[in-house]
Amino acid sequence: MSTDKRIKVQYYAILREQAGRSDESVVTAAQTPRDLYDELKARYPFSLAPEMLRVAINAEFGEWSQRLADGDSVVFIPPVAGG
Amino acid sequence: MGAFSFTRQRIDASGLRQQLSDPAAGGYASFEGWVRNHNEGLAVRHLEYEAFEPLAIKEGERIVAEAITRFGIEHAACVHRIGDLGIGEMAVWVGVSARHRAEAFQACRYIIDEVKHRVPIWKKEHYENGDSGWVNCERCASPAVHQEHAAGHGHHSHEHSTHAPASHGHRFTGADAAALASTHGRVAAPVTDYSRQMALKEVGAAGQAKLRASRVLVIGCGGLGVPVISYLAGAGIGRLGLVDSDCLEPSNLHRQTMYALADIGKLKAELAADRVRALNPDVDVRAHVLRLNALNAPELIAQYDLVIDCTDNFATKFLLNDYCVQLGKPVVFASVYQYEGQLQIVRAGSACLRCVWPEATRDGIVGNCSEAGVLGPVPGIFGGLQAFEAMKLVLDLPGQLKDELLILDLLTLSTSRVRTMRSGDCPGHAIGRATAAQTAAVAQANAASRNAHDPATELSFDTLDQAQESGFDIIDIREPKELVEMPAPGGFARNIPMARLLYGEPRFAPKGKTLLLCASGRRSLAAAQELRDRGVVDVYSLRGGLKALQANTAT
Repeated sequence: MSTDKRIKVQYYAILREQAGRSDESVVTAAQTPRDLYDELKARYPFSLAPEMLRVAINAEFGEWSQRLADGDSVVFIPPVAGG
Repeated sequence: MGAFSFTRQRIDASGLRQQLSDPAAGGYASFEGWVRNHNEGLAVRHLEYEAFEPLAIKEGERIVAEAITRFGIEHAACVHRIGDLGIGEMAVWVGVSARHRAEAFQACRYIIDEVKHRVPIWKKEHYENGDSGWVNCERCASPAVHQEHAAGHGHHSHEHSTHAPASHGHRFTGADAAALASTHGRVAAPVTDYSRQMALKEVGAAGQAKLRASRVLVIGCGGLGVPVISYLAGAGIGRLGLVDSDCLEPSNLHRQTMYALADIGKLKAELAADRVRALNPDVDVRAHVLRLNALNAPELIAQYDLVIDCTDNFATKFLLNDYCVQLGKPVVFASVYQYEGQLQIVRAGSACLRCVWPEATRDGIVGNCSEAGVLGPVPGIFGGLQAFEAMKLVLDLPGQLKDELLILDLLTLSTSRVRTMRSGDCPGHAIGRATAAQTAAVAQANAASRNAHDPATELSFDTLDQAQESGFDIIDIREPKELVEMPAPGGFARNIPMARLLYGEPRFAPKGKTLLLCASGRRSLAAAQELRDRGVVDVYSLRGGLKALQANTAT
């Protein structure tokens, strides 16, 4: 489909553990990071709600409702506190 | 003759000394390096020195000029022999005249150390057995009073320690009587030597003075704190405050390398302060044995210029953020998780922690209750980064992390730098929120000081039957996979995973009194507090979680 786009996804901390990988390239019809997260949540046992995370799009903190474009780089970042 | 020169003739120390005399000088110190009759077990017959003179002279003169500026001495000079030298001959001479002995010794030491490290001079040793070998003098650079000699890197030295002046080797001479007395003692008191960092043109004497004038507060003396404290103490930070209320535990040692097994059970802030005193007596170190809270934070932070967050919990991180934003003190934050970590610097005008995490994150909500685990070098690396960023701030070096969150995954060595540019509601908004959070934190701290436990949110039961009989709706907030591994006893609990409980649609609506449970009681407490903050009443957490229930059953 022409609406499909290729997105580079990176996972950190507990998301990396739950996804079992640090990054991947995803072909998706997702319009927003929230759609993308929901799609990935069906594939991996993510225990965190988007509200508990931040999303960065192309090295900048973004909104969950932002439009995604082909070739975007998306990073899902949970807060961490270990020391 | 320039301040640094080479000669093929015998060095005439007394003639050179005359050239440094000055009515303004109250002391003179010199160093002589002699050709020794053995090296690494081989008997040495004679030596040859060779230098690339034009370059070597320039570098040597630069070193002498640096010493004059840095230590404020009157005069200094250095002469190095080249060509063929016999045993006992003087290979190098350094002389310094100064107002006082301290700077005379420091400058003299600085010049010889730097000459040996930086000036391109090669030495060919001719051994008794007929062999010979070139030795780059950079490798023979390590006066034995340095730690590095003890570590075994000083084998090529043709000088010996001032600790053992009777043996073959160099000697100090001093016109200053007190200086003479101190060098002739068997044990000279070791002095801090910042020459390696001062040799950087971005540091120098001015930078060292900045480090000395700075006051840094380190919150947490654990995995992150240990490297931060070690490096800042070594660098000669003027005042170092160390905050920690915990005692050392055996499980700390794999990553908290400043401590020893024999220290188990002792207060970490005090252990760390002792270590700093041993490492660098120049540092005014202050141990603060306390847990940072809204009542003690403002006064403590006010005594320092820069704060380093080496804590392991969100509550303290947000508390620090709020007060430091208000007081205008920069904070270097770091957090680690298993094989990765995050680094962020909050300072005047930059995004703060609440700009990045507007949903004030509670301890226990992210990650599971069981310890996530960590490899020792992970906090070591992040603590090292924190110490480095702190020094960049103090020294005003370029490339400071600003308006960015640095995420580093050490397994893949991948780095993400995410800009923390924010919309119009920050930082003003964040500060407003931070102030409100502070007010709440003060109230909480006051309440906590009246009553060590918060009986309202946590409840203890011996069995879930008791809770059910008391009319509680019991909700197991663990993930489905956890339920399979360890089901909750009794079959009374319904399962709503935490993410769905807190953020699912439709919103969670309580059926009367609610008891939340998880594996250890940490997540359930965080979730109960979160729901209460949103106005849900009569929601409680099972203290100690399923582990506490199992312990009860076992006894």
